[in-house]
Amino acid sequence: MPRSRSRIRKSWSCYLLLLPTYLLLSVFSFVPFYWAFSTSLYQYEIGEEPTFVGLSNYREYFADPTFLPSFSNMAFLTFFAVCVNVVFPLTVAKLIFSLSSERARYFYRVIFLAPIVVPYVAVQMIWAGLVYGDAGLINELLRSIGLGSLARGWLSHPRTVLWAIAFVGFPFASGINILIYYAGLSNISQSVHEAAWLDGARGLGKFLRIDVPLVLSQIKLLVILTLIAGIQGFEGIFILTRGGPGFESMVPGLWMYFNAFSFQRMGLACAIGVVLFFLILGLTILNLRYFRSAESLQAAE
Amino acid sequence: MKAKRDYLLHAILLGIVILTMLPFLFVLNNSLRTNTEIYHAFFDMPSALKSALRFTWYELTGRQERIQLKLPPAGQEEEVEAARLEPRVVPYGEAMKQLGHTLTRGYRYCWTYLRPYMLNSFFVCLVTAAGVIVVGSLSAYVLSRYRFPGSKVLFLVILSVMMVPPVLTLVPSFLLVRRLGLLNSYWVLILPYMAGGQAFAIYVFKSFFDGLPEELFESARIDGAGHLALYRHIVLPLSKPVIAVVAIVNILGTWNNFLWPFICNTDPKYHVVASGLFLMGQTQVATNFSTMYAAYTLSSIPLLVLFVYATKPFLKGVASGAFKA
Repeated sequence: MPRSRSRIRKSWSCYLLLLPTYLLLSVFSFVPFYWAFSTSLYQYEIGEEPTFVGLSNYREYFADPTFLPSFSNMAFLTFFAVCVNVVFPLTVAKLIFSLSSERARYFYRVIFLAPIVVPYVAVQMIWAGLVYGDAGLINELLRSIGLGSLARGWLSHPRTVLWAIAFVGFPFASGINILIYYAGLSNISQSVHEAAWLDGARGLGKFLRIDVPLVLSQIKLLVILTLIAGIQGFEGIFILTRGGPGFESMVPGLWMYFNAFSFQRMGLACAIGVVLFFLILGLTILNLRYFRSAESLQAAE
Repeated sequence: MKAKRDYLLHAILLGIVILTMLPFLFVLNNSLRTNTEIYHAFFDMPSALKSALRFTWYELTGRQERIQLKLPPAGQEEEVEAARLEPRVVPYGEAMKQLGHTLTRGYRYCWTYLRPYMLNSFFVCLVTAAGVIVVGSLSAYVLSRYRFPGSKVLFLVILSVMMVPPVLTLVPSFLLVRRLGLLNSYWVLILPYMAGGQAFAIYVFKSFFDGLPEELFESARIDGAGHLALYRHIVLPLSKPVIAVVAIVNILGTWNNFLWPFICNTDPKYHVVASGLFLMGQTQVATNFSTMYAAYTLSSIPLLVLFVYATKPFLKGVASGAFKA
């Protein structure tokens, strides 16, 4: 039976070549995944013995005074981010795509991608200091046009802090989003545009009725990515305000971070992580369902 | 008609470009200015740069006697207070040297802090990217070109890792590396990054390998080539573009990751650019605006170099639909 033997030997070497990947994933992905759930059931501080407490970490978190405000902050910031990440890059991509010179189109794609070379931390710190700072861009601009009375610490005032965080990165037109939309727009066949033109579709109406539905899969992708990033992202807020002033800009992820690394409450922190995980999972499934049905509707038409 | 529309589009797009770049332009400008200058007039050019331009004009028009700087007389640098100095005529070359010194003050000062962070970032980025490419492409090659019991399940399990959000595993990952005794080392960054890069890399590599024609492999197999020989002599030479995409995405992620190195390395020796910048912002280094702005500028240069060399293949990769859902 030389044939089956060689097949086994071949398979063995296949498994062997997969081993490095699986070793890495087992240790650094599967174990933390399991520990997230198991640790959330324990009262655990580093250096002490963990004690099993059942679901009491979850009960404590749902009764936490930061729970509702932080979720509403997160919802606001995420909703804002989804809106601007759909509208602004798509508009810019369409503007670039409408240029008649190929060289100009290439130029704008490169120039809008260029800001990704600035480290994320630096971008946040630049906005915190140079744009929103006391002697920052916005305040100096206001002073120079005689509106100095409106100048304020945008990130330290309870009424402006959330909007200030939401507007970091304005005009939201840099990075890879534009390229994703651009790829979608250039995949629309020329005959579709010609047919639309013959049917009298022009300008904004054509954009909304022809282009937007045909880049729906790109919109879907960016909506999911922005949702996920919005729910779990807290690095930006950590750098900008640390959740302040007070708890005005606290979000659940940041509260998880503080519980783990400032208050040493690993069990509670893991419980918050698990709550966020299920939220992300649920929204991803909903998003896939909703958009899939929208796409099949369109196909049926 | 068409030209008119193009002008309008250019005007709108250039407006958006300027708005996007505005903060970065001010970073560049203010990295060359002192705090006094910034507080005195926010919207202005660096005064040393203005002096340099004026002196160059004097030099060209032959009015060297107007090139004056508040410099101590030679040999007495230590003894005279800067505030009590009177402007005196200096040779053009010396004036330029002095002004250059003033302009680059922020850069020279921040570099002493940034240099070790940069070296750590380079090291971690390169080792991680190399590891992800070697390990990931081997696995993707096996999963793409061979049918063996469990191959589909093994691929799906790898892909499912992408569904796990980092926010869930941040705290347990920290507990894990702590128990493994990896805190305060390069490994605490490299190994988890390599694991985290697997799913995306294998997905991209596998879809590329799936598209390679089987005939290429068959003839080599008839010649008796094994897995690794096929991989080295057929797969690798053909996959340069896709390797570039994986490497770029990976380096970008590693370079920008701030939280993980910030949490895991309390020893400043192991900090990378991202966490190092944040730490610099917390110390008195940050009281000089120019130092921080210079640090932001310098920390963008490595990725800028990568960007200049990698934009074309990357745009091609994105355009070919690598990011379509």
